[in-house]
Amino acid sequence: MPASEADPPAMIRLEELTKYYPGSDEPAVDAVTMDIPEGEIVVLVGPSGCGKTTTLKMINRIVEPTSGRISLEGEDVTDVDPDRLRRRIGYVIQQVGLFPHRTIAQNIATVPRLLGWDKERITERVDELLELVGMDPATYGPRYPKELSGGQRQRVGVARAMAADPPVMLMDEPFGAIDPITRDRLQNEFLRLQQEIEKTIVFVTHDIDEAIKMGDRIAIFGNDHRIQQYASPEMLLSNPINEFVDAFTGTGASLKRLNLTRVRDVALSDWPTAASDSPREELQRRLAETEHSFLLLLDRQQRPLRWISERDLARSDWTHHGGLKVRAVVEPHVTLHNALDEMLTSNVGVATVVDERGAYQGVVDIDTVMTAVNAMRAETRERVRVAPWHGVTASDVADATESRA
Amino acid sequence: MGAIEYAIDNWDRLLEFALQHIGFVLLSIVIATVIGVALGVLTYQRPTAAALVIAVSATILTIPSFALFGLGITFFGIGNLGPVIGLILYSQLPIVRNTITGLQEVDPAVVESARGMGMSRWQSLWRIELPLAWPVVLTGVRVATLIVTSIFAIAAYVGASGLGREIDRGLSNLGAAWAFDVVLTATVAIVLVALVLDVLYMLIGKLTIPRGVRS
Ligand SMILES: Nc1ncnc2c1ncn2[C@@H]1O[C@H](COP(=O)(O)OP(=O)(O)OP(=O)(O)O)[C@@H](O)[C@H]1O
Ligand SMILES: [Mg+2]
Repeated sequence: MPASEADPPAMIRLEELTKYYPGSDEPAVDAVTMDIPEGEIVVLVGPSGCGKTTTLKMINRIVEPTSGRISLEGEDVTDVDPDRLRRRIGYVIQQVGLFPHRTIAQNIATVPRLLGWDKERITERVDELLELVGMDPATYGPRYPKELSGGQRQRVGVARAMAADPPVMLMDEPFGAIDPITRDRLQNEFLRLQQEIEKTIVFVTHDIDEAIKMGDRIAIFGNDHRIQQYASPEMLLSNPINEFVDAFTGTGASLKRLNLTRVRDVALSDWPTAASDSPREELQRRLAETEHSFLLLLDRQQRPLRWISERDLARSDWTHHGGLKVRAVVEPHVTLHNALDEMLTSNVGVATVVDERGAYQGVVDIDTVMTAVNAMRAETRERVRVAPWHGVTASDVADATESRA
Repeated sequence: MGAIEYAIDNWDRLLEFALQHIGFVLLSIVIATVIGVALGVLTYQRPTAAALVIAVSATILTIPSFALFGLGITFFGIGNLGPVIGLILYSQLPIVRNTITGLQEVDPAVVESARGMGMSRWQSLWRIELPLAWPVVLTGVRVATLIVTSIFAIAAYVGASGLGREIDRGLSNLGAAWAFDVVLTATVAIVLVALVLDVLYMLIGKLTIPRGVRS
């Protein structure tokens, strides 16, 4: 499937890539063809054993393909010296694989040392990378891998893969063995990082939710070791090409799509606010003017402090510390899914949005979410009609829609 | 106690024998380590070859040292050369076996990430796998040292140096009043030599095993 004209140029191109492991008459990967555009995150996802890892390892030739071609930046690399090829490709394996006998700094310095950089440049680069992944170089540089937590090791694994600034990174379930909360944080950090570094990334996971969150495009592998559908997350969720993809993306597709939109992408709702040191009478007047039953108090730096109601203001022992503490505070970069989650736990039924300095920006309420969902739906329908993406044509979509009707 | 008196009176002679003993043991061990580690490196990825090397070195260890050193005279004559070669042979089982085990036990994920970052087979072995296998290899070397420290005493009868000389002298004069004291003193000295070497290995371990892999 060659890229359509609107797509960015392919950084990696796989053509009819097939792998039979010795002694097996069933392919581990069957005729995989795909273009991986420059600067995007492409996620390979699918059930266990469908060939994701094998595909990834054929790109840096840890596994030699049985047949097919691989090109990198337009150059056919199917037969070049694998050691040299690998120094151009960052690689994060699932089990991280840090060198236990080397310090964190030495681990990160691996590829620069292989490339013969001078000492000073290496030290500088190591410090820079540690800071990039949010770890203090003076504290963590001299430590050994066993002296770090699992999440910290994952970050070092990513930093090590980026050391020589390779244009391409291959990541095999890099956030696999981590608790959900840390994983969520690492994913967010990584997405933020990717905005800066704009690498071409091939990312393997078996978790469709992670795929939807991380991927600019997603390739879903089936049990037949072939790609079933290669498309944007929106397309997969709204127009699964066959029953397998439909089942794999699973129920709750609408809810998952909330992962595709961030708070900064939607129009926030307003909420009546007041300075927390205003006199009681003024607060009462402000509240009476609105149809809301709570007023949001802000401090001098515009940071949300408390929710107060008419009843709070009527109390004889009223102070500015009355009312409810503001929970469910989110920043603009979180997904609507996160915001919805917070919203449901908040005592007022909205998530309060603040900027990096903590200053009030607006709120996300249920109407905000509904509007966003409707807009997404309309947008994808439009896209399908105008510009069918890889592997999906308008008639496929029509078929899929019919067969489900 | 006659033995203590004997040791006090002859401490300089005993020290010289002990130093010879340590010297020949260490010489054999250094050579044996180079050979044993090389054999381990060549075979650890090939199960049949590994099993063969281990079987052969195990068989060597079952040859009585008395017989092996005696046969050695035919090729190397009287002196230290034959016994040193004998010690190298006897050292192979613990060293080869531990090298193979140590290399096989290196986490495959670590090796894969080394190769995946562009290290050649040789770089990965030299910089990653051998350092990680080193604690296990060192244990093998230590065991080999203990084994050959006692075996070397027997080589005195084919003309080797070391504390075996004293035992040999005592045993050939077993009727004499002093003979027992001499044998006892030399035997204790060999035990002490073994202890000293063991302490040496603890130090080597401390100095060469990086903090990240020390248990
Ligand atoms: N080294 C190997 N030798 C033989 N067969 C292998 C080897 N590695 C993988 N396979 C087989 O190839 C198929 C694809 O394996 P692969 O590791 O690529 O799957 P995967 O999609 O990454 O699965 P998972 O999600 O479980 O990691 C499986 O059937 C597997 O058993
Ligand atoms: Mg896998």
